[in-house]
Amino acid sequence: MKTERCREWREALGAYALGHLPDEERVGLEAHLEGCPDCQAEADSLLAIAERLPHADPARFGPAPAPPPELGRRIAATIGAEKRSRRRHRRLRLGLGLSGATAVAAAAVLAIFVLTGNETGGPEQRVAFRSLPAGVAIAATPEPRAFGTEIHMYVAGIRSGTLCRVYMRGPGRTGASAGSFRYRWGGDDSAVLSAALDLSRAKALVVHAGNRTFVAPLGSAAAAFIDQPQEEEPT
Amino acid sequence: MAPGALTRERDIREAYTAHAAELYGFAVRSLGDSGLAEEAVQETFLRAWRAGDRFDPQIGSLRTWLFAILRNVVIDLSRARAARPGVAEGGIEPSVEPFDEALLAWQIEEAMRRIGEQHRRILVETYYRGRPYAEVAEELGIPEGTVKSRVYYGLRALRVVLEEMGYED
Repeated sequence: MKTERCREWREALGAYALGHLPDEERVGLEAHLEGCPDCQAEADSLLAIAERLPHADPARFGPAPAPPPELGRRIAATIGAEKRSRRRHRRLRLGLGLSGATAVAAAAVLAIFVLTGNETGGPEQRVAFRSLPAGVAIAATPEPRAFGTEIHMYVAGIRSGTLCRVYMRGPGRTGASAGSFRYRWGGDDSAVLSAALDLSRAKALVVHAGNRTFVAPLGSAAAAFIDQPQEEEPT
Repeated sequence: MAPGALTRERDIREAYTAHAAELYGFAVRSLGDSGLAEEAVQETFLRAWRAGDRFDPQIGSLRTWLFAILRNVVIDLSRARAARPGVAEGGIEPSVEPFDEALLAWQIEEAMRRIGEQHRRILVETYYRGRPYAEVAEELGIPEGTVKSRVYYGLRALRVVLEEMGYED
């Protein structure tokens, strides 16, 4: 029940919970709490909050870092790729050409996430291309297969009709074409490709989309490539 | 499948809008590296998408569920990083606190960000800096009694924000 006494004591409850109340005031307040379940409940609740305060670091009360805007797009692209590859109705099984990949000079800054934390040739690596032009999303999921590697590709935001050629780069100058697909609006923006190169030996996944080249390092190479600008050398 | 399960891409998009900032902020704090934090948040939403039909809002909030997934992701990432030293060089020194301790800290820090500047300031000065109320009162040009009542309303604000954030479940 709220009384004049409660009003008198209420605003001291914060200092009380933090252990800041001078002794005589604290004794007076505790006497009131004895006979006032309302104030006692409020005190208990604030004490529970006060108990948690020492965990926090006041140097971290400033604004928290915000996720980069492209993170949401990247996640949506990867989920889109997974969804479409699940209900795959069009399978592209293209060439095993183990030729040196015809590379185009490019200076795209790309970074890559190998999400499963495996070193090389684990069961599956999901890679996502970062630092793509605004609005463009490319995602790929290479999976080891008996013939080499199956790659689920997903592309969004580039001009309809753009030819996307996909390569896997192996050690040294070896490489394997994984085939190509044409990007179209809606439905056809993903493809399942395959390459003869063993995923565990693959160093990078290369996508030529129109005149742009995007590289995603794979496996243990990925770590070293993070956030480093890359120049493609013609082979 | 429970009603409220996350089965559509739209559900994940909405979950992202509602919770990504918080998950990311926490991941940065916990992993000490913004690149790893992005990786962790991405993996969290992918796992949520794959397991979306198992999410049941009757059992716990979406936030709690996502943080539980993030917990596993962070543990996996920390293991992978331990096995691959040198990957996360640069940036903020990674926190060595275990996940749960970091989460306790994060909850209060996030709540502190959400309460008003006046309330935050009074709690920082009196509690974290341990300054006498009289000194704080003089600095702020307010009566000492007002410092005391602001401490009370600051703690209450913190309590309200923590409840709103669903940290109690």
